[in-house]
Amino acid sequence: MNSKKNVLWHLPLIIIGLVALLPVVFMISNSFKTLQESYQSILNLIPTKPTIDNYTTLNHQVNLIRLIWNTFFMATIVTLGKLLTGLLAAYAFRYFQFKHKSFIYLLFVATIFVPFTIVMIPNYLVIAKLNLLNSVIGVALPQLCDATGIMIFLKTMEKIPSSLFDSLKIDDIPNRRIFFNIVLPILRPSIISVGAMFFINSWNEYVWPTLILKDKGSFTLPLALQNYISSEGGTNFPLAMALSSIMIVLPLIIYLIFQRYILNSISNSGLK
Amino acid sequence: MHSNKKILPFLYLLPTGLLLTIFMIIPIIYTFYLSFFDWNLIAPTKDFVGMRNYVEVFTDPVNQKVLINTFFYIILLLILNFVIPYIISLIVKFFIKKMQGAYKIVFFIPSLFSLVVGAMIFSWILNPVSGPVAFLFRESGFVLPNWTNSGALAIVVLCLITNWKVFGYNFILLLTGLGSIPKNIIDATTIDRIPKWRMIWNIILPMNKSIAIYVLILTIVQGLQYVFTPTNVITTGGPYYGSSNVLYHTYLNAFVLYKTGNASALAITTFLIFLVLLYLEIKFVEGRSKYE
Repeated sequence: MNSKKNVLWHLPLIIIGLVALLPVVFMISNSFKTLQESYQSILNLIPTKPTIDNYTTLNHQVNLIRLIWNTFFMATIVTLGKLLTGLLAAYAFRYFQFKHKSFIYLLFVATIFVPFTIVMIPNYLVIAKLNLLNSVIGVALPQLCDATGIMIFLKTMEKIPSSLFDSLKIDDIPNRRIFFNIVLPILRPSIISVGAMFFINSWNEYVWPTLILKDKGSFTLPLALQNYISSEGGTNFPLAMALSSIMIVLPLIIYLIFQRYILNSISNSGLK
Repeated sequence: MHSNKKILPFLYLLPTGLLLTIFMIIPIIYTFYLSFFDWNLIAPTKDFVGMRNYVEVFTDPVNQKVLINTFFYIILLLILNFVIPYIISLIVKFFIKKMQGAYKIVFFIPSLFSLVVGAMIFSWILNPVSGPVAFLFRESGFVLPNWTNSGALAIVVLCLITNWKVFGYNFILLLTGLGSIPKNIIDATTIDRIPKWRMIWNIILPMNKSIAIYVLILTIVQGLQYVFTPTNVITTGGPYYGSSNVLYHTYLNAFVLYKTGNASALAITTFLIFLVLLYLEIKFVEGRSKYE
């Protein structure tokens, strides 16, 4: 009786698991089907005659290497920027006493509640003035800091006992050295997990890049994919799915390697 | 030495502070300024129009429609991205004994993918003519309605796409909250043979209040921004602004219709709504942190 009940509770969870995964599985499968087969055998999970035609067509239509590089380059700059500014700020909040500390901290946290629509017009104008339209640098520039990172790093730093720092300060060891030689090594796991999250989010980013990148040569992967979806005369789904499959490889690899770290850092970002 | 010590913390805060000032604080003030003008983003002159843009936010029929849509979005997002993940996290925490870790790993996977990918997959899955769901409907004698023709149905689909992406994320946050409730409290209720649903209602939910409110607020604030991507990819706010919300409409006004003033007034209105949410977050969530 009891075990039967237990199985019943698993049912909704298994359904949710399928809803989470099946779309992706179908997407990958369809990317190896011809357009005709994708219409004729919609529910076939395994293509009858697997083909890589969609991938070769894609390779002719867009510069895949360029797209991947643009996306990778942008995501790397954004990730490094957010990590550096976040670590420095968290260090200040943890180890210094200064005026208006709680107010400044709340101001940083409050930035999470600023809708992008309120900053997009002025920021667009600034990036245009700086002649950075159609450049991934222009996309990255306004995004080099992130309050979530500060919150998570601060939480991890709170686990390092204050006594350690007090003794280092008595020995007059400069903050610069404490920061680089002691704090950063201890924080390595959370730097990896937060960095992985930043990278994946930036890799997937769509809204702000659509405003800045208008020239196809400057496109990132999500923008190129959008072009396939809204193309005239309906979407060629196998083709769009091939591009999507290419897009999800890197985030999946990062997740497979750092899965435990990533899930932990999400937990940390919510714990108050 | 003494003054050096006073400046030092601000040096560490400088990069973040500078970036926030240039790309957040000044832009907010500038958008506020623009909201009192009639401008098209390019013209050299701006016409001062006072409160007209704000009056239009609430009197223009399209804006009214968009505001009602936004309300509809919020309700749906709360159900899909907060209530359901919360129920599921309670099931995983209190009603099953195995596989908790596996569910966490699997549920999170869609969060790794771009919403553009999600929008593409679901516009295939729910394609009213050639998609698999339409196919299954036909086989069983039903017709899948063409949801792109109906604002309300389009909103449901757009919310489902965001739900696909954020479900796992919110689920993990809520599950973590439940995990931090001391085990002896839960054990005590099992010894006293208190029914599980009563334990959850009377003890667990109140104890998990702070993280739940955090996720609830995040659901609204992030959800409305997440919906932007599938909206732009699939419906561009149509049919007749039927699936537009206040954020998407701000974008349309600013970068498609070039009505910068209207866009700015809409953005400020959104910001005011979010500020109320921020106030709640500070009151109920951050209030417990030691930096308060």
